[in-house]
Amino acid sequence: MIKTERVLHLKSCVGRKLRVVREHYLRERVPCCSSLCQADCVNDGKLLPGDLTHYVVPDVAVVVDYLEILEFRELQGIIFTQTACQALQSKNRRYYKRLQTLVKDPRHDCVLFANEFQKYSYCPREKGESQEKWQTRCVYSAAVWYYNHLAGMMNIVMITEDPEAVDQFSSLTSGVYVISVQDYLQSFWSDLQAAHELFSSISQAQQETEGDDGEKEFPEHLPAEVLEAGIKSERYIQGTLNVNKHRAQNEAFVRPKNFSTKSTDLTWDVLVYGRKNRNRAVHGDEVVVELLPKNEWRGRDTALTDGDEKTGEDNESTPLPTGRIVGILQRNWRDYVVTFPTRDGIQSQSRNSQRILTIPWDQRIPKIRISTQQAEALQDHRVVVRIDSWESTSFYPNGHSVRVLGRAGELETEVQTILLENCIHILPFSDAQLREMPVNSLEKPWTVDPSEVAERRDLRDSRLVFSIDPRGCEDVDDTLSVRKLPNRRLELGVHIADVTHFVKEGSLTDLEARSRATTYYLADRRYDMLPAILSADLCSLLGGADRYAMSVLWELDAESLEVQEVWYGRTLIRSSYQLHYELAQALLNGEQVEVAELANLGPQEKGSKLAQLTEALEMLTHVARHLRAKRDRGGALELEGVEVGAQLDEERNITALVPRQPLEVHETVAECMIYANHWVARKIQEAFPNQALLRRHPPPQQELFNQLVDTAKAKGFTIDTRSNKALAASLDRAVDPQDPLVNRLFRMMATTAMSQALYFSTGAHPQDQYYHYGLALDRYTHFTSPIRRYADIVVHRLLTAALHMQSGVVSGKAPASNKEVEEMAHHVNSKNRAAQAAQMRSTALFQCLFFRERDPQTDPCCVADAVVYSIRDNGVLVFIPEYGARGPVYLKNKEGLVVVAGQDGSCDWQGGTVRKYPDRITTTSSCGTSTFKLFDHITVRISVHSSTCHADRLNLEVISNKPHHSAKSQQPSPQGRSQLVKEVVRQNEEALAQEKTARRPKLSKEEREFRQSKTPSLYSILEEIRELALMDLERASRLPATTA
Amino acid sequence: MAGLELLSDQGYRLDGRKATELRKLQARMGVFTQADGSAYLEQGNTKALAVVYGPHEMRGSRSRTLHDRAVINCQYSMATFSTAERKRRPHGDRKSTEMSLHLKQTFEAAVMTQLYPRSQIDIYVKVRVGLTLHLVRGIIAEIDFFVIVHKHVSIVFQQILQSDGGNYSVCVNAATLAVIDAGIPMRDYVCACTVGFVDETPLADLCYAEENGGVSSLALALLPRGGQIALLQMDARLHQDHLETLIEAAMTACKGVSKVLDEVVRQHLQEASVLTGE
Repeated sequence: MIKTERVLHLKSCVGRKLRVVREHYLRERVPCCSSLCQADCVNDGKLLPGDLTHYVVPDVAVVVDYLEILEFRELQGIIFTQTACQALQSKNRRYYKRLQTLVKDPRHDCVLFANEFQKYSYCPREKGESQEKWQTRCVYSAAVWYYNHLAGMMNIVMITEDPEAVDQFSSLTSGVYVISVQDYLQSFWSDLQAAHELFSSISQAQQETEGDDGEKEFPEHLPAEVLEAGIKSERYIQGTLNVNKHRAQNEAFVRPKNFSTKSTDLTWDVLVYGRKNRNRAVHGDEVVVELLPKNEWRGRDTALTDGDEKTGEDNESTPLPTGRIVGILQRNWRDYVVTFPTRDGIQSQSRNSQRILTIPWDQRIPKIRISTQQAEALQDHRVVVRIDSWESTSFYPNGHSVRVLGRAGELETEVQTILLENCIHILPFSDAQLREMPVNSLEKPWTVDPSEVAERRDLRDSRLVFSIDPRGCEDVDDTLSVRKLPNRRLELGVHIADVTHFVKEGSLTDLEARSRATTYYLADRRYDMLPAILSADLCSLLGGADRYAMSVLWELDAESLEVQEVWYGRTLIRSSYQLHYELAQALLNGEQVEVAELANLGPQEKGSKLAQLTEALEMLTHVARHLRAKRDRGGALELEGVEVGAQLDEERNITALVPRQPLEVHETVAECMIYANHWVARKIQEAFPNQALLRRHPPPQQELFNQLVDTAKAKGFTIDTRSNKALAASLDRAVDPQDPLVNRLFRMMATTAMSQALYFSTGAHPQDQYYHYGLALDRYTHFTSPIRRYADIVVHRLLTAALHMQSGVVSGKAPASNKEVEEMAHHVNSKNRAAQAAQMRSTALFQCLFFRERDPQTDPCCVADAVVYSIRDNGVLVFIPEYGARGPVYLKNKEGLVVVAGQDGSCDWQGGTVRKYPDRITTTSSCGTSTFKLFDHITVRISVHSSTCHADRLNLEVISNKPHHSAKSQQPSPQGRSQLVKEVVRQNEEALAQEKTARRPKLSKEEREFRQSKTPSLYSILEEIRELALMDLERASRLPATTA
Repeated sequence: MAGLELLSDQGYRLDGRKATELRKLQARMGVFTQADGSAYLEQGNTKALAVVYGPHEMRGSRSRTLHDRAVINCQYSMATFSTAERKRRPHGDRKSTEMSLHLKQTFEAAVMTQLYPRSQIDIYVKVRVGLTLHLVRGIIAEIDFFVIVHKHVSIVFQQILQSDGGNYSVCVNAATLAVIDAGIPMRDYVCACTVGFVDETPLADLCYAEENGGVSSLALALLPRGGQIALLQMDARLHQDHLETLIEAAMTACKGVSKVLDEVVRQHLQEASVLTGE
């Protein structure tokens, strides 16, 4: 037992002042986490390097106020004291969490020292001493302790904001320097400009808040106990605030946190209307709302708006529960990108205070007031800011600037903005991380380790392994094999790159990959999760090279294709062919094609090899069809994502936009991967019933299908949404033979109604929630792409641990606990969401760039065919199949003019009225009446609505209510030969007629399964051409899928 | 509000202990002269006083006499000043009745009752200490007086003077010493300890803040030499996978307690023999 000593602690609890005696144990051995330690401290984890000039011990006030400066990675050797941490915890929990991650992050050079548990650095609080003084004294004594503990080998600098402390302590101990933050930055980091700027911006923001005083703009928030009691008694409702993007000024919704509340009328979100009722809550905050009396309830606006204020809106739908925010439980402020207004905007404000209202890029965020000296220089720039506070006396929140991104409208700035707004922070891989990587160069080629060969099952000679990927793919993480076994069985194999062999748990690369969680694909670039040496070389299952793999091998009955046996394990493979989809499909169709791997062989040999490969492909297709049919019986959904690929010529210029050709082989590969994922999910769930990482797709909320059902009714179809099987079947029936787009639109709407598929830990959910709705599988996970998804790496580790457990080998480390896995799942989910959002935004950005350089009046590209898919009060929502874009079309503008179509279909603006019906909208004017029905084809002109503060948007204007003349050729309805073949086979399988209009992306995750490498760097070309001011690129893809 | 950090990332608890470390345990035996056996025990800031009378003849209703063993009677009470908020704790409330019952069960398992057939071991729980006394000595004086008044009833009499978590286990430990002091044969020391479960780590010997911090805790009384469990009590929810690790941790902690108790007994014996030897 360790010698302990008891000390008194005074503490007053909530309510009455109480004198509580707490024990406090001190010990002599508290790890110092320094590599200079002479006293053999038990240091595990991070160590401060010994080759620094000094260590920094920040005072409590410094940690509380200037934590952001301490977050700079350039600042090394920071020792956070426990005293400071506790103070931060009680003041600002959000920053406390940041401090915790900072201390855990091995890339930052900082440690936490438990000074209050150290016998010699602890000083009890004296009678009458103020808390601040005591804290400063504690921090100082910790600094002194460090100096003595390291035997004077390292100078200690204590930084404080308290001038008295500087006077009092600075000359007390030699080697321990006490200076202010400003002095510290100036004398030690004079060249770190960013830190200086941040410092001045924070300190200015602080002075501002001190001087703030005035009338109350908002009611005060209720104290936390009242809120908690109110939530418990169900008087208040707790939830997350969601601001309506299109009516950010007024409309916001609070989604109640637990639906289990007894009051049944709360199945829908609570509307918070107006600025006053929102009471300083910002989008994403966790808030507490109080319901208003029923007579004050309001409906939501259904008119289309630009996000500008609209008053006197009388066309409202049925009233929703409406409430006002009474308190905020947890602020969820992040870094925001804002734009400084132009000069005239500044002048209108008071000139000497230099307080400026900046406009956030995200419309849902209110304007942020910051004070800066650089307003002149920064106008029209995009800047990252953080919100500090929002007093009830202020109309806007106060913030401070962190760093400048660049001028608005520039490509680089915009891309950075997108990343930041989605909370994606990517720094290049550090040297330390790259040093961990194995080498593979011409001089030192990487070879297979003989000891690994002994441990792994060698499949190099026994199986014909091949990969099928998009053309030009670098990171091949899945390969397939199939062969006939003598005992009337088939053996199907899926071999996945063994990333976990190279990325050891807890290594720097692992940590980095974990924090990235996925590879980010933007329209013009990508950010890899793993360093290139792994993702494009050693882990990539390239043709003709020996590679490590994790394999799943099934033995199937040759007739019934039922699984007889499954084998999981680590293997050694050599991929014989690196095919791409088109080539594989051509082989299947029996066309004469050139396979690169066989180019050098004689015709005889070539023929036999080709026959072998084709046979394997056919066998694979046969199996995949069977698997697919089986899943269809279970109710798998086929949903529509709009996908348009860009075709490139040799110089990598985009020459045309082609809808991606749906090939059967896409589906074959996908089916095998789904199968592998499913079986791995089964394995790890059985081995670790409480801590396996699986992926579930919750069934959608029925009310979200309302739009789909109503729209379909207008067209005369009924959509049954009760189960996934019924939905799939009714979607298949809802086909208009004249217009294949109708079915596509239905599927698209069904997709938007779906909930997101999520990773989760099996210990955190009951087993009946494991179901994957879209794929109709009871258990599912991600296993097949460890190069670009961190979840797969986790699953690989779990599978390895399960195999060890099975064979009785004691593995070194226990697998992660349920809590850790659940945390990981949350992290990966949020990162995936961010990655998806960033991807969508960046395609939208490029879409806008494409149209910005064109004159909407003359360029034929800007006129396109569009289909009406939803009716609103003053316009319609349309879908443009050519560009895969969706957007609103106004039939009534702000001047009150309405669109009226003439005899030839051309439209112009005239005074009149608009009437909305469930399935059509009519405009009436003196010249006559025109009607726009659901699923009408109209012609629209596309232009760009640009704005300095926000993202550019596409502006659609109706020019004719007739279909666009060139539209016919654009329809992607290739009922090709392969389609028909497949059709027939399928009917044999289960008589489930499937009509394919496009390749099937279930969810955007699966869809990315096949689009790994976007090799052509559009970005570089765009940059060059932008300089010439000659945009001659075609770029179009999906627009954000969500509206409102 | 929600969530004191009960176990920091560095592995420290609120009061500076590590997960497996016990609070400081101090005890004294033979604090009363009137009683047959008595002990005073401090475990951290939780302080308890145990007094044992007996074995003696059955008193009160004779119908409860057991002809093959002694009846054990326990009484548990809390001082009004024992927690931060002063409140009257009348005896017979559900909490202390339950605690008394637990104590009774524990000691029935440990005391060799078959040696004293037909004798009554009444265990009453008596709570009423009206005076605020900060000094242990003062408390003892007060209780001495109190005990004399009520002498006819109690065999084991114990009291929590100050409560800072782990009441049950402290009671058991104090009572063990008192029983030993009374010279009543026991199979083994009964050592008790609470353990909690935070962040997948078992925390030994919870203090008050930890007990109230939403930790699922478990109390275990152990006969350490044979490793028999005299009592295991748990009201909170816990995944069954973790139960084993939790019991394991509790048993280790109990063994630690037994070492300290053993030392106390030996020291007391040494002192007593020196005194009687003179």
